[in-house]
Amino acid sequence: MRTRSGLFAALLLVAATPGALRADRRPAIDTARDIWGMIQQLRDHDTTQSVRPQAIAAAPAGGPTVELGDLSQPARLEARLAPLARTPAARLRVSVPNGQARLGDYSVGSDQTVRGHLLVLRGDADVYGRVQGNVVTLDGNVIVHSGAVISGDVLAIHGRVREQGGVVDGAIRTLSAGATAVPLSPVELTLRRLAGLAGVIITLGVLGLGLVAFGRHNLEIVSDTVSHSFGRSFVTGLLGQILLLPTFGMLVVGLVLSVAGILLLPFAIIAYVLLAVVGVVGGYLAVAHALGETWTRRRLAQGTVVATASSYRFLAAGLGAMLVLWAAWAALGWVPVAGDLIRGAAILVTWFLGTAGFGAALLSRAGVRENFAGRIIPPEALTDEYLWATPQFGVPAVRRPGATRSPTSGS
Amino acid sequence: MMHRAALAAALLLPAALSAQTMRDFSTSRQLHGETRLIARVEYGAGTLRVAPASGSDLYRVAMSYDGERYAPLSAFDAASETVRLGLTSTGAGGFHIGSRRQLDQRAVITLSPDVSLDLTLQLGAAESELELGGLRLTDLHLTTGASRTTLRFSRPNAGLCAAAAISAGAADVSVLGLGNSRCRQVVFEGGVGKALLDLSGSWPSEARVRVQMAVGSLTLRLPRDLGIRLTLDRFLSSFPTAGWTRRGNAYLSPGYEHATRHLDLSVSSTLGGIDVEWVN
Repeated sequence: MRTRSGLFAALLLVAATPGALRADRRPAIDTARDIWGMIQQLRDHDTTQSVRPQAIAAAPAGGPTVELGDLSQPARLEARLAPLARTPAARLRVSVPNGQARLGDYSVGSDQTVRGHLLVLRGDADVYGRVQGNVVTLDGNVIVHSGAVISGDVLAIHGRVREQGGVVDGAIRTLSAGATAVPLSPVELTLRRLAGLAGVIITLGVLGLGLVAFGRHNLEIVSDTVSHSFGRSFVTGLLGQILLLPTFGMLVVGLVLSVAGILLLPFAIIAYVLLAVVGVVGGYLAVAHALGETWTRRRLAQGTVVATASSYRFLAAGLGAMLVLWAAWAALGWVPVAGDLIRGAAILVTWFLGTAGFGAALLSRAGVRENFAGRIIPPEALTDEYLWATPQFGVPAVRRPGATRSPTSGS
Repeated sequence: MMHRAALAAALLLPAALSAQTMRDFSTSRQLHGETRLIARVEYGAGTLRVAPASGSDLYRVAMSYDGERYAPLSAFDAASETVRLGLTSTGAGGFHIGSRRQLDQRAVITLSPDVSLDLTLQLGAAESELELGGLRLTDLHLTTGASRTTLRFSRPNAGLCAAAAISAGAADVSVLGLGNSRCRQVVFEGGVGKALLDLSGSWPSEARVRVQMAVGSLTLRLPRDLGIRLTLDRFLSSFPTAGWTRRGNAYLSPGYEHATRHLDLSVSSTLGGIDVEWVN
C-alpha cells in the first residue's frame, strides 16, 4: 500500500515538473535517475520493518558479540545475526568488536567519518561520508552515495547494495533471504504420481498388447517357464544381471581386437542394449501374464464365470496385480515412514519379478525353447480347454507338466 | 486412545518433502588500479556463464544457489591478488547431485579485461558457457567433470597467454576460436565424450597444441590459411590423412610452406574417431 502511494507520488512529481524533462538532455536524465532512485528507495524501504533509529548498546560480558572482520562467509554471519533480528528493540544488546551497531536507518554524513565496522539492523545504511571498516546491514540496504568512501567490505543481508558513485575498497556482497521452493501438497503429489503410474500402465499395456498380438507363442512359453521353473528363472535372471556388463565389455573388446569387427561396434552396442531391454521388459510382461493366468484359472476352478480367458485378460490382470504396490505408493507415498516402506516394498517386488522374468526369457531363449516351460505334450494339444478340463492331480491317465522333475528336451 | 491418535497424526502428517532453498548471492569488487588478478573459480553443479566485465569492476558474480547444500565462495586476498569464487558444497559428500533441481543453480561471473588474468576453472556437473575473448589472459586452467562446456574466444586475447590446459572428464567440450587465446602452449586432455577444437583465430608465432583424447570422438576444425605440422599417435583411432603431406614422422597441412602462421599440433587418441573440418 505504501509502495503504491509512493509510486503515485513519484508519478505526480513527474507530471508536476514537465520543465525538468523539457530542459536539455542531461538534466532530464538526472531527473529520471533521481525519480527512479526514489521509487527504488520507496520499494526497498517498504520491505523492511520500520523502527525508530537508535544506537544499540553494547552487550554485557557474555552477551551476543558479532565479529565483522571477515565477511567472506555471509551465510554464517546471517545465522549469527538471525536471533538479533527477532529481539525486541528495547532488549537489543550486541557488541561489535572494533565497531558499532545501529538499529533502523542510519546515515553517515558527507563530513562524517565512522571509525571501525558498522552494523545496521532493520534499516538502510546511507553512506555519504567515510567508513573506515566494513559495513553490514541485516534486513536493509546499503547505499553508497557519490563521494562516499568505504575502506572495507560491504555486505547487505536480505537487502541490496546500491552503488551510486561512491568508492568501496573491499568486496561488495549481497545475500538474499532464502526463497524455499514450495513443496507439493499431498494431493498434488498424489495426483502427479498417479499420472506417472497411469503412464507406466498405458506404456506396459500397449507393449503387452503388441507382444500378445505378434508374439503370443513366445510370450506363453516365457510365461510358462516362469510358472513352472520360478526358482530357476530367478537364479538365472540374477546371474544374467551380474553378467550383463562384463558380457558387454567382452563384446566390445572382442570386436575392437578383431579390427574388422570394429565397424560392427556401433550396431553391436545398439543391438545388445535393445536385447537387454527387450529381455527385461518382455520378461516382466511374461510374469504379469503368468500371474494373470494363474489367478484367472483359480477363479474358473472356483466356478466363477469369466467371459474370455485369453492372454489379453491374463496380461491385464497380472499387470494390475503387479502394479498394486506402486498404486499404494502413489496414493500414500506422502505419509512419513509408511510411504518409504511402501516404496521400498514396491521396488523390491518389481525387481524380484523382473529378475524372474528376465531369467525366464534367458532360459527359454526369448520363448523359443520349451525345456523349462513344463510342456511335455505337443503345444498344439495344450489348449485352454484342455488345461481347464484336465485336473492337476488324481487322473493317472494324464500326466501334467511338472510331474517329472528333470527337464525334457524341447521340440 | 491418545496414543492411537498421536500415532495416526504422526503417520498422516505430510512428509517433510525435501525442500530446496534457492538464494541469491552477489559479490563484486571495484577496480582500483589493480594490474593483475589470479582467479580461482569452483563450480559444482548448475549453469555457469563467464564473460568479460563491461563496467569498472575487477570481478562481479551474481548467482542463485541451493542454500541447503552449497555455500558461495567469495574470498579475496589482496596480498597475492587472488580471488576464489563459485560454489562449495556444505556437506561432506562433495558435489553430489541428488536431484535435477540442483542443476537449477545459476551463476554469471564477469572479469575485468583491464588486468592480467591467471584463470583456473574447476567445473563439476555444470553446463558452462565461457566467453574468454577480450580478456587479458596470461594462464588458463580448465577442468571439467561430467559437463557440457563451451569455451569461446570470440575476440583475441588482449595480452599474451603463456599456457592453457584444458582437461575434460566425461564431457562434451567445444573450444571455439582457440587461436584467439594467443596461448603459446595449449594442452587439451579429453577423457570420455565428445570434443570439438576449433583452431581458428590469431595464433602467436611458435604456438604448440597438444591434444590427448582417451575414448571418444574428436573434431578438429582447422583454418586453411594456417600451416599445421601434425604429429599423430593413435591406437584404434581413425584419422583422415588425405591432403596432408608426410614428412618424417609428421604430416604437413596443405599449403604449409606458404602459410604465414604456423602451428605445431600433436594429437594422441586411443579409441575413437578423429574428424577434420577445414574452415576458411
